Amino acid sequence: MLPDITGYFVILERIFAIVGTGLYLIFAIVIVKQVSMMTKNVYDKFNWIVIVFSYIHLALSVFLLLMSIV
Amino acid sequence: MVRASNLDLVAPDEIIEIKKDPPSLRNSGEVRQKVYDLLGHTSNPLSSFLIKPHVFKFKEQDDKEEIILVMRPHWFTNVSWVISAIGMLMVPMLAQFLPVWGEVPLKYQAWGILFWYMITLAFCLEQFLSWYFDVYIITDERVIDIEFNNLLDKKFAETKISMIQDVSSRVAGISQTMFNYGDVRIQTAAEIPELCFEKVPNPDKVIKVLQMMREEEELEAIEGRVR
Repeated sequence: MLPDITGYFVILERIFAIVGTGLYLIFAIVIVKQVSMMTKNVYDKFNWIVIVFSYIHLALSVFLLLMSIV
Repeated sequence: MVRASNLDLVAPDEIIEIKKDPPSLRNSGEVRQKVYDLLGHTSNPLSSFLIKPHVFKFKEQDDKEEIILVMRPHWFTNVSWVISAIGMLMVPMLAQFLPVWGEVPLKYQAWGILFWYMITLAFCLEQFLSWYFDVYIITDERVIDIEFNNLLDKKFAETKISMIQDVSSRVAGISQTMFNYGDVRIQTAAEIPELCFEKVPNPDKVIKVLQMMREEEELEAIEGRVR
């Protein structure tokens, strides 16, 4: 009889998801930092929208990481 | 030999100032007015061709420096990535038609969809930022090129208007001809030999403005108002 390896696959999937979303979170932080740097360099009327979007992106990536852990 | 009765007329002691008006324009203010007449007025603040914007500023701007024109690549350059983004948004809907999709647990389905939409959002954000912060500025003193390549690379290049030597433009291809946008190349006598405004709207107007601004600089030099 073959051993049940489904459990190992689930663990592997979870590790992959956590590492992937962790890296994604770092990317989201870089975007926020970069947007803040860009908006300091070039000031225009719609800068606040770009800043808001970068923070929404960061919040969603945190949510995704939590979703992978739980 | 006949001698001059008044030697001051032949070789005066004081230097005589010869005031010569330029043939076409009287002062630099008129040139500026002509520039604004040529450019007209921008009503859309998200335009790729902002004329004398009230809100726009940049970090390296001097206190008295006046922004004449701010350009971004033409809006049509965004069409390709917008179409790609729409395609990416449809992927989760298409995934539901896959036979394997039904066997994936609901939690993983939700995670996968969210992850995919996040990648789409990041893609859109990066493309928009690359367009929005890629600006070319003409002020009353300088020509500036600010570029942010792939979010982690900032490029700032400037040259004084008085250092401009040649300006040329290139409109190539169907879309550029239809929507009137193209590259404007500025050859300079400065350390940076060339500045290139890529895919900017109305390249012919940009060339004309640069020509007029050079004329204004020359007039300012004659008037003794060089900063």
